[in-house]
Amino acid sequence: MTLRGFAVCAILVLSGCAHSSIVLLPNENGGHGEVSIRQSRGIGGETIVSDSNTRATLGGSRPSIRPLGSKGLSPSEALLVSALPPAAKSFDLYFHEGTTDMIAQSLPVLDQIRAEIAKRPGADVQVTGHTDTVGNDSDNDALSKQRAHEILDLLVNKGFAHTKMSAVGRGERELKVHTADDVRNAINRRVEVIVR
Amino acid sequence: MLRSSGLFVSLAALISSPTVAEIGRIKSSIGIATVQRGTTHIPATSGQGLLPGDWLETGKDGRISLTFIDNTRFAVGPNSRIGLSTFEYNPTTERGSFVTQVERGSIAVVSGRISHSGRDAMQLRTDDSVLGVSDAEVIVEVPR
Repeated sequence: MTLRGFAVCAILVLSGCAHSSIVLLPNENGGHGEVSIRQSRGIGGETIVSDSNTRATLGGSRPSIRPLGSKGLSPSEALLVSALPPAAKSFDLYFHEGTTDMIAQSLPVLDQIRAEIAKRPGADVQVTGHTDTVGNDSDNDALSKQRAHEILDLLVNKGFAHTKMSAVGRGERELKVHTADDVRNAINRRVEVIVR
Repeated sequence: MLRSSGLFVSLAALISSPTVAEIGRIKSSIGIATVQRGTTHIPATSGQGLLPGDWLETGKDGRISLTFIDNTRFAVGPNSRIGLSTFEYNPTTERGSFVTQVERGSIAVVSGRISHSGRDAMQLRTDDSVLGVSDAEVIVEVPR
């Protein structure tokens, strides 16, 4: 290696050690989002990184930005990405009008929820009850909460610890299908279960 | 002996402050991996809840994976120290503010609902830079 080549390598190695860097990856919906970069001390402007598979080295007056290129991620970066937990999964369970009784078609969904919980270590389960717009607000708040607790109890009975879950009722505040007041709607009579 | 008494203290602290809402949860960890809460160090075991102000710390072969209630996901690499400085989230409006301090090490982030709240709603900060994350998957590395 020439002296000059050695010097360039040494500088690259040094700068690689000294500076922070970011990589913007494609997101799961096939898009890429964006990251804005500015210095904490407020000097210099803002740089927007919006092309995926881009690396930006921080620390200078402006970040230096380049495509990841054919080398892609380093092994340690690839390992980090593979350690990300899976995306949260959401399920809807539906109910007979004015009751906490699930419709028959929702029973298999309950099994899917249990399976999803079982395969996620440290699972975090959020249960949210909803109603349609028939009836008054306070009755619907109570009914939505009862629906949520009904599902919570069914999941707890299957051995999943109560402390790992939370249940709330949202009444008719978050309609899935927007309707006028006092409209029966089977899609709105639901409990949403999010498993993280 | 010291270890188990430390754990007891941390559990007692958790039980005595039930009003502070959990913002996320550890999914898995390997190697040396702890949650620092004030002066207490809690083992970063699967299912451990997280609060605003917690620091995630890993040793040379340590790793932590975690999720937040707005569906943000983190993977923390070895030799890292990551602060959950600010986390405010309204699940009804799905808006909030989330500031993470990357003091050293490496982290992969998939941003969640909070990052949809506005340009600077989700920030990752290093000692010299502020990164605003919008609906993105990003890796940040801060060598020590």
